[in-house]
Amino acid sequence: MAATQDAKGKAEGADQNFDYMFKLLIIGNSSVGKTSFLFRYADDAFTSAFVSTVGIDFKVKTVYKNDKRIKLQIWDTAGQERYRTITTAYYRGAMGFILMYDITNEESFGAVQDWSTQIKTYSWDNAQVVLAGNKCDMEEERVVSVDSGRLLAEQLGFEFFETSAKDNINVKQTFERLVDLICDKMSDSLDGDPAVTAGAPTAKLTDSAPPLQQPGCNC
Amino acid sequence: MGENMSKPSAKPFQDVTFFTSFKPYNPPATNDAAPPRPSIFSTLRRPPVAKPNDFIPLFSDCITAASSRTQEYLIFKDPEDKFHPSPDALTQIFLMTYISQSVNLNLTDIFNCTAMTPEQRILLGADWVWAVLEKSTKNPRIQIAVQVLHLSDKEGGEEDGVLPETCSESVQMAQRESSDRNMYERMVDFCTSVGKDCYALFLFFGRKNDKSNIYGVLSNNFEAAIGKCDKIDRALLENFFKGSRYLHTPSGMMQSIVTRNEGDPLTLMIKFS
Ligand SMILES: Nc1nc2c(ncn2[C@@H]2O[C@H](COP(=O)(O)OP(=O)(O)O)[C@@H](O)[C@H]2O)c(=O)[nH]1
Ligand SMILES: [Mg+2]
Repeated sequence: MAATQDAKGKAEGADQNFDYMFKLLIIGNSSVGKTSFLFRYADDAFTSAFVSTVGIDFKVKTVYKNDKRIKLQIWDTAGQERYRTITTAYYRGAMGFILMYDITNEESFGAVQDWSTQIKTYSWDNAQVVLAGNKCDMEEERVVSVDSGRLLAEQLGFEFFETSAKDNINVKQTFERLVDLICDKMSDSLDGDPAVTAGAPTAKLTDSAPPLQQPGCNC
Repeated sequence: MGENMSKPSAKPFQDVTFFTSFKPYNPPATNDAAPPRPSIFSTLRRPPVAKPNDFIPLFSDCITAASSRTQEYLIFKDPEDKFHPSPDALTQIFLMTYISQSVNLNLTDIFNCTAMTPEQRILLGADWVWAVLEKSTKNPRIQIAVQVLHLSDKEGGEEDGVLPETCSESVQMAQRESSDRNMYERMVDFCTSVGKDCYALFLFFGRKNDKSNIYGVLSNNFEAAIGKCDKIDRALLENFFKGSRYLHTPSGMMQSIVTRNEGDPLTLMIKFS
């Protein structure tokens, strides 16, 4: 176990490089573009080959906001039913979700309601959600209108974007909005009942970083 | 809507068809790590086939190529005893040979191989995952998660050869996320979470009394072993060979897997080289 110990110590040293760490999850049916979306955001790349994700994976990206360094730990989940147990286990610590469907795939849109129920079932109450209708570059094959996407988001209380991982449309914006929402929620919670944040999943993830006693992230 | 959700149930959407939907926009990918150049083996082979269980001899061919290539390096000994190939290099040689061969034989539409990312290797404990694909959807029907064990591994199944200074920030993060279990336990947990159609295969690149051969122990029931012992370690895994009279061939292993009744436990020892 020595390797883990070493890695831990080292990593804790490295943790000083950021002020906050947010754990985000991307969920939605298989093949809607979750992996591509993360790939575009973290590595600014896109591939048209479909490699079905096994279980879970993640990437790390640091963003800056009002002089604060926010480390995003972004989890990419596999949409297939066989991975449901392992993926939902990672919902618990998440502060934000990108719930994705494919505007050319009616079924993936129909499943949004159920994914939203999954979030309510397995995640922290204050988790923020952005609904993303991906593949908006494929206008000719569109089967879900922008309006129905927006309406559903309103009903569920989520923010909404149409995106394209392929053409890099609204990818950065989606993540930035989610980070804003989390920051807002954090300052709300601090202004209000401190107990709300006491059990927040941040506690575990940022155990060596300055936790929530700093006044929000002034977003 | 929320009422009919059963909270802790492992498979809340079992009977709903939503999640089996699948819309391939492109021909399903083979593997991103596949080198494009055909190997010498491609010229020796008959044209590709696509019948359900016909993949087994092809799988066996791929394993033979990968095992014998790996063995060449496994038995290598520097006369000055200074130079040792790293465990990771051996894993890579096996996987690269397997992947190029399976691409050459057109096996990947029926039976694919997905190499794990460095983060996934830590989180899921697997080096790669094989999958028998459903014909229509290309979704995995049966999976085999594979972890290679090297003679030089440190106990505990931690990644070795990866020094903390040299591994990326995200790999360190992955290690912290899963530091409560060793690599063996992570892979067994992953397979258990998927179900009985997901097997864990521990692949031994050499065992103590036979350093130059490749063996495996495969099971969809390792969790039963964890139940009895408080932890999985190399000794426990090697113990499977002690009482075993019979070593399967790779195709025998695959045959047992595809003919097994759904849900039945299966544990096998295999000789790969
Ligand atoms: N046209 C288009 N194709 C996309 C887009 N995003 C993903 N894809 C393709 O859709 C397929 C599935 O993408 P993937 O990211 O693997 O989906 P996941 O299963 O949700 O992770 C791949 O072939 C991608 O190349 C997009 O924005 N536009
Ligand atoms: Mg994916």
